[in-house]
Amino acid sequence: MPIRFAYHPGNVAHSSAPEVDETMRAACRSLDIELIDMPGATSCGAGILGQANRRLQITLNARTMSIAEDLGMDIITPCATTAATLFEDLMMLKADSSLMGEVNRTLEKTTGRVLEGSIKIRHLLQVILEEIGIENFSKKVKNPIPSPLAPYYGPNLQQVGLIGGDDVFDPWYMESVIEAGGGDPIRYASRTSSAGTPGIFSEEQTVLRQSANILSDAKTMGARMMISACTLSHGVLDIYQGKASRSTGLNTNLPVIHFCEYVAFLTGNFPTRLAMLKTRVAVIGD
Amino acid sequence: MGIFSVYIEEGCITCDACEEAAPEVFEVTEDTCFIKSDVRLDGGFDRNDSKSGLKTEVVQTYSDDILDAADGCPVDVIIVVEAKADEAEVEETITEVEVEVPIAAEAPQVSMEIEGLDAFLSAGDRTLNIFFGSQSGNSEQLASNFAKRAGDYGLEGIVHDMDGFDIKKMASMRRVAIVCSTWGEGEMPDNAEALWQAASSKDAPDMSGMAFSVLSLGDTSYELFCQSGKDWDGRLEQLGANRVAPRVDCDVDYEAMATEWAQEALTMLSAVDDSGNLHEELIESIREMADGGASVADGEDGFIVPDLTSDEIEVQLNVFRYDPHEKTSGTDTWLCSLPGHLTLLESLRAIQRTHDGSLCFTDGSPHDPNTAIVVNGRITLPGVSRIETLSNGRPGALNLHLEPLPGYDVIRDLCVDFGALTKKREEASLWHVSRTREAIRSEQGTLIGPMDPSEAIALHKMSDPFGAQVLHSCSDSIAYSQSYLGPSVCLDLWVKRTDPRTSTKRAEEIDTLLGGANAILAETDLAPIGRQPLAGKEIQSALSDAKTRALEHNGYNGRHGKHVWWYAWTMKSSGRVNDTVLYRQVLGPLGLLSNLTSGVTARMLTGFTRTGGKMVNDILALVAPPAGIGKMPRQFNKRVDDHYEVVSIFNSLDSRF
Repeated sequence: MPIRFAYHPGNVAHSSAPEVDETMRAACRSLDIELIDMPGATSCGAGILGQANRRLQITLNARTMSIAEDLGMDIITPCATTAATLFEDLMMLKADSSLMGEVNRTLEKTTGRVLEGSIKIRHLLQVILEEIGIENFSKKVKNPIPSPLAPYYGPNLQQVGLIGGDDVFDPWYMESVIEAGGGDPIRYASRTSSAGTPGIFSEEQTVLRQSANILSDAKTMGARMMISACTLSHGVLDIYQGKASRSTGLNTNLPVIHFCEYVAFLTGNFPTRLAMLKTRVAVIGD
Repeated sequence: MGIFSVYIEEGCITCDACEEAAPEVFEVTEDTCFIKSDVRLDGGFDRNDSKSGLKTEVVQTYSDDILDAADGCPVDVIIVVEAKADEAEVEETITEVEVEVPIAAEAPQVSMEIEGLDAFLSAGDRTLNIFFGSQSGNSEQLASNFAKRAGDYGLEGIVHDMDGFDIKKMASMRRVAIVCSTWGEGEMPDNAEALWQAASSKDAPDMSGMAFSVLSLGDTSYELFCQSGKDWDGRLEQLGANRVAPRVDCDVDYEAMATEWAQEALTMLSAVDDSGNLHEELIESIREMADGGASVADGEDGFIVPDLTSDEIEVQLNVFRYDPHEKTSGTDTWLCSLPGHLTLLESLRAIQRTHDGSLCFTDGSPHDPNTAIVVNGRITLPGVSRIETLSNGRPGALNLHLEPLPGYDVIRDLCVDFGALTKKREEASLWHVSRTREAIRSEQGTLIGPMDPSEAIALHKMSDPFGAQVLHSCSDSIAYSQSYLGPSVCLDLWVKRTDPRTSTKRAEEIDTLLGGANAILAETDLAPIGRQPLAGKEIQSALSDAKTRALEHNGYNGRHGKHVWWYAWTMKSSGRVNDTVLYRQVLGPLGLLSNLTSGVTARMLTGFTRTGGKMVNDILALVAPPAGIGKMPRQFNKRVDDHYEVVSIFNSLDSRF
């Protein structure tokens, strides 16, 4: 019997990171998770929309969550930022009944919907650890990746209340998945630090230093590849790493893949891509 | 005086020096040194903790070698016991003792005592009646405290006000404690007068079945010091009661003496059975039981503080080290076994004291923000963090990484220089300028400016509870931007900006400061601040509001403003963010060109290490520049279902976009 979730692909999986959506769907099929699309769901705002108008972001997210409530399912997402933004807004609404009332009045007036606040927000990582179980997961591993791998969580997912039983600052959830996948998890200091992604357009130099530090930190500890739980940070850590290296002088040359890609490969999906990735891992480096 | 015995204390480093000096006596093992069995009277083979004597011929033959070994021990753990005059025939004496006092015979006896005490303490009426005669309340307070402690002695403490109490009822009691002060020139307190009159009358009942003790409070500056207590003590004795613990007369500083009296009186009264008989054989057992095997400590108010000790935990402490002279940094690792209740600060002190005197950290009171360090990524006050609470539930040894606070120059090891924050605070001109406003006159006649309670609470919530220096470090970007003022300074500015007492002109100045390139807009990510326990969501939310205000003040100009504006615009357009539009609108042609030359665009197009995606989309990006930057970006987003709802929400809440 598959576990069913209302599926929110995150902010950019429809556009600049379709590999996240593709691999999320494949990984979930392999893990016996049924994803129910929410074609009416909007972007979560990623905290950026909230900087313009927080009430607007909360109301839009209340609408998305009410769609999941109508389906009678919790939301699953591969994006750490989306998980955190939806979670924070939901917690804010549940903690403040007058805010919930005002948001629901707006929702009802504009859409006819009402949010009860009965759902939960889950990241794929959390579902693997807490619902599937690491032992069951290890049984589904078909293509182990026996390399020193650096998990990257970022700060969004690692918040008290959001990531269940994991330690917010000294996590072990992704390490467990890596071990189950035959890899050697690398422990490095900055694995929950921010890569500065929200500031990539406006504070590029600071973000380059932040992301360079994370990549260099992982590489120094022996990582051959990084696995990111955050779609947006994944983009920065991968796309900007050459520029980050030139800007800081640090060695940042490290393949970065998304957690969904990693799980999809482990569970036997996209063998050609995995072969290409292994080649890249073998080639890239010093 | 010759040698009688030799033994090894803890701390042997197994250097073999003793074995080389006296191989016939010492044998170095893997982790310590043993005294050989054939030289000892008891024939044992261990460190000789029992200090068993050496055989006569051994002493005669190897004394010099043993003394040489002791002198040569680099850690001084070889202890030589010299013989006394009456130890000449020690061999025979010891043998006799061993035979006559078999250890096994003692065990059942102890067990029986404990069983007997338990039965005694659970049998019959165990009430302890504590009477207070009090004028100022001190005696009443003490009586109340002692009643709470009575449970530790197997008693049920009941406090009685002497006022209106029936003397006959008092006479029927088996255990009585009296706490009474003296008023005026040796007079009873008001509430004790009537009972005292009844007790001192000729018709007072016989009290021979009562065990009692008196605590008397007084003042030595009065002639009749503690007279009331003395009167009660004497009268109860006259009426036949049994004084089981002597009266204690306290001066005005009574706490310590009162506590001592309570320990003795409660012990003795506990040993009284429900017939009023004192069981002297149980007194020591009761005392030990109440002491809890010395595992508890006396509180200042006379209460017994609960035992808060924890088992030892295996800890791997990885401490960041920096030597300012050599300009080298690294990590030192200590594998320790530390009691779980020890705080991190106490652990650092212990390491500094016993292992490495050069270890540098900021010491201080438990809540001193200057002591803060980073423990496994979490900003922590080490004085309030017990070792056992730092475990994340993983099996095996606790692995702690200790680092200095980020965002500051490191002086040495875990010590940082807070000068950077001071400089930024000066730079931000954090003064307050009040506006002219209405005041009200208080009952005392002074003028005060009132504030709405909800506004005051909101301001208070935004204030940083753990110190500016800690909040400054909660940002993940502070260490990577020299010019950024940091969250602490920005929060301070924002609190002043939202304070209704701030003048309009000053609020405008703060808007300009906050909208500057070095203020809150320089913070790349607020999420790390919100998740730090010493900052929290309230602070993150306040800083987010400050950002919104700064963006509005700047008219959503600049890259940050455009990023937010176009993000909102694309969401309204389709319900989804359009990163193509964002890149084009925020970076502009020059920014896009910069990405092209820096390799960012090429990396996006080729999907350097990312996998998957359709190449046709990459080609699309090339044929329709500048739109379409990104590995697989869409030129136009497909709208979400029921998109009109999204537009309706936008129009209802914010029609700017």
